[in-house]
Amino acid sequence: MSEKAQTYRRFDRWQRIEHGLLILSFTVLTLTGLPQKYSMTYWGSALIWLFGGIEVTRLIHRGAAILLMLETIYHAVAVSYKVLVRRVRLTMLPSWRDIVDGFHAMAYNVRLAKTPPRMGRYTFGEKVEYWAVIWGTVIMILTGFMLWNPIATTTFFPGQWIPAAKAAHSGEALLAVLSIVTWHVYNVHLKHFNRSMFTGAISHHEMQTEHAAELAELDAGHQPAPIATAVLQRRQRIFYPVAIVLSLVLLVALYLFVTIEQTAITTVPRQQVEVFTPQTPEASP
Amino acid sequence: MDQCRGGRVLTAGSSISVAFLRHRSCGWLENSALFFSATDGFRTDLSGKRSWLVASLLALGLFLLGGVTNLYAQTESQPPTVHYNQEPGVPPDTACRLCHGDKDETLALPSGETLDLGVDLTVLQDSVHGQHSATPLYCTDCHQSRERYLYPHAPTPVQSLAEFVDEVEQNCTQCHQPLALHNPGHLQAEDTTNLPGCTDCHGGHDATSAAIMKAEPIATCQSCHATYADERVAAAHEEIVANLGPEQSCLTCHGDQQTTANQQCKTCHGLLQSQLTLASGDQVDLHVDGTLIDESVHGFREIQGTAYMPLQCTDCHKDQQQYGFPHPQLTTDTRRNLTLEMESICQECHQDIYQRQHDGIHGVKQAEGELSAATCFDCHGNHAIHDPDDPRERVSHTCGNCHGEINEQYAQSVHGAALIGEDNPDVPVCTDCHGVHDISDPRTAAFRVNSPTLCGGCHADKVLMAKYDISTDVFETYVADFHGTTVTLFERQSPDQETNKAVCYDCHGVHNILPATDEHSQVIKDNLLTTCRQCHPDASANFPDSWTSHFQPSREHNPLVYWVNLFYTILIPTVVGGFALFIGTDLYRRLWERRS
Repeated sequence: MSEKAQTYRRFDRWQRIEHGLLILSFTVLTLTGLPQKYSMTYWGSALIWLFGGIEVTRLIHRGAAILLMLETIYHAVAVSYKVLVRRVRLTMLPSWRDIVDGFHAMAYNVRLAKTPPRMGRYTFGEKVEYWAVIWGTVIMILTGFMLWNPIATTTFFPGQWIPAAKAAHSGEALLAVLSIVTWHVYNVHLKHFNRSMFTGAISHHEMQTEHAAELAELDAGHQPAPIATAVLQRRQRIFYPVAIVLSLVLLVALYLFVTIEQTAITTVPRQQVEVFTPQTPEASP
Repeated sequence: MDQCRGGRVLTAGSSISVAFLRHRSCGWLENSALFFSATDGFRTDLSGKRSWLVASLLALGLFLLGGVTNLYAQTESQPPTVHYNQEPGVPPDTACRLCHGDKDETLALPSGETLDLGVDLTVLQDSVHGQHSATPLYCTDCHQSRERYLYPHAPTPVQSLAEFVDEVEQNCTQCHQPLALHNPGHLQAEDTTNLPGCTDCHGGHDATSAAIMKAEPIATCQSCHATYADERVAAAHEEIVANLGPEQSCLTCHGDQQTTANQQCKTCHGLLQSQLTLASGDQVDLHVDGTLIDESVHGFREIQGTAYMPLQCTDCHKDQQQYGFPHPQLTTDTRRNLTLEMESICQECHQDIYQRQHDGIHGVKQAEGELSAATCFDCHGNHAIHDPDDPRERVSHTCGNCHGEINEQYAQSVHGAALIGEDNPDVPVCTDCHGVHDISDPRTAAFRVNSPTLCGGCHADKVLMAKYDISTDVFETYVADFHGTTVTLFERQSPDQETNKAVCYDCHGVHNILPATDEHSQVIKDNLLTTCRQCHPDASANFPDSWTSHFQPSREHNPLVYWVNLFYTILIPTVVGGFALFIGTDLYRRLWERRS
């Protein structure tokens, strides 16, 4: 295999499935969420109508939210496993170097620097995206809970948190969607189509241009030290029960999230008034 | 002599007079008769030859003189127009009176009837044509046919009493207008067999003056019209006659002048005061005040410069079968059914409104058999129809007639109090929210989801609300909120589906809307939790604060929302702008690389 044709593994199958779930939930949330934010616009109400009305749109939105939360729980467990059991390098953690890389890249773009920054496994741009998703999802889940369960929320918090949560949910959503259509779409689709999230691997050329530092490390033979089986098993023995219990707690929390509150009755009570109460004798024929 | 009825008059002494009568119409003199005129003593001395001879000679001489005079009169076109009495002070018909005033014989007519030959001179004297009246007539003024009434009388050619009367009545027109003009009513009767002549009403020898007749007109008419074939007509007449005013009589309806159907209706029903009892026992007023229509919207009106005459009774009560006189027996069993039957009357002119009314809730309910559902009349009245919104308050009372409880609530509300107390021109009356004729069922989902737009019609009107210092944000903030967004979307997309999201009146009340500052208002802070709990039974104490109270978020109202909004207003452009800047520079680098 020539060096040029060599590919580098980037995302395993589970990560790609996670990304797929994220695409699905995020898209559905966007399509059902933005029309709610812009419900009084023509396109907003048209989309709502296409989904079958505002109540159905809300149901779909909440369904997609459940999917996103399940994915979030899975991601937490999966990342915890890697970090706690496999003890992988925390390549996604932001660092000072990312800021330097960002300015370097900008300088390079405007021809103030001769060479582009040589970046590691995750570039500053990818970290921005990842942590934006994490931040955004946390915000959306928290504010979503408040909107979904306003009575439960106001039992402990001031009532004004509900409209504030709505404002935050709405603002954060717009921020997320705009980030995706600018940053994500440009970087992985327009600049060049990065297929690694579907194929799981990137080419040597891509490694050279985007992850030069990582390529150099690989070429230099830096490999994570293998973990002794005994050590791995010991860690797993601790991790699995804790993870299972925590996952169950999170799933119960999710279940409660969805079911804890019956916010409103389904049929609004009617004013009871006697309609026909004649005051004077009927009109003379 | 006791039997001589003319004796009282003719006490001038024994004399013979010849009457020369002036014909009133052409003025020629007629030597109509030679009469013997004598005192009581005349008869007793009748056998006296000297007297008889003198009388005969005198009579002959005068007769001849009369004939000459007559000839003279016929040759002269301008005869003298004076009564010629041989003896001044003695009436020319003295002979007629002398003879017929003292007669009790009768003349048998070929018809089998008998003609009374006696004349009660007292009656004649006291009649309108009597000697004391302004226009005294002599017997020969009426009984003027020369051939017939010249003495000795020729056998009468008349066959019956009626013919005799007819013949005499021909002469009434010499002084009076013809019967056809005077009393068209009788002549237009369908049954012509028993028509009255002049004398039937006015009398013959006892002819009464019109003034006296007018004083006692009913008695005159009732001399013939004492009974009626139709007992309801009889009852109606009995009541009407009893109710006639001082200026009214039979002639008020049955006068000389041809009256229109409209006048007939109004006169009759204006006089009737009783009630008609229907099969169910319901009673219907027969009285109609005719002036009500003239004063109503259907009365004299000027619309855009065109003057309109009032509607006629028969414009509405048109069906001859039903409203022709005499009216057929009413078969409708209840008062309400009568109203319902009559409603279609309005349709003829007000077709569009009528249709809308029938599409509206009242019409629909009526079609479902709800008889109390309002008809045209229930709201507008029948004869006294006036502008329904003059004053505006009237609308509220009109609806309140049937919807009393609701109207009471309304009257207590901020809208109702302003309307009824202040005649405020801006507050909604019933019809502003419910519509007028095609009133929709306010219990439907469609009405409910449309209601915010309804309220917004005024409460989003900046000019209108400025008058009362009411914020127009109420509508926008409602629509921007969870409830309002949902309801607005329902209104646009599925107006017939129920939604459990609150509309304006769920919180503010329906008819009993109070100012948001009123201590009893459902939406004042103290009462808000109770209001929220109508739909959110588990609502916590803080829950009502989650409602922004129609305030746009600001530092004063809903500050947390304001800050969050501000945060994202800054964050989003910053982040996205940063991304865009980086992308822009990246594109620049790529384009530069490609070029070089």
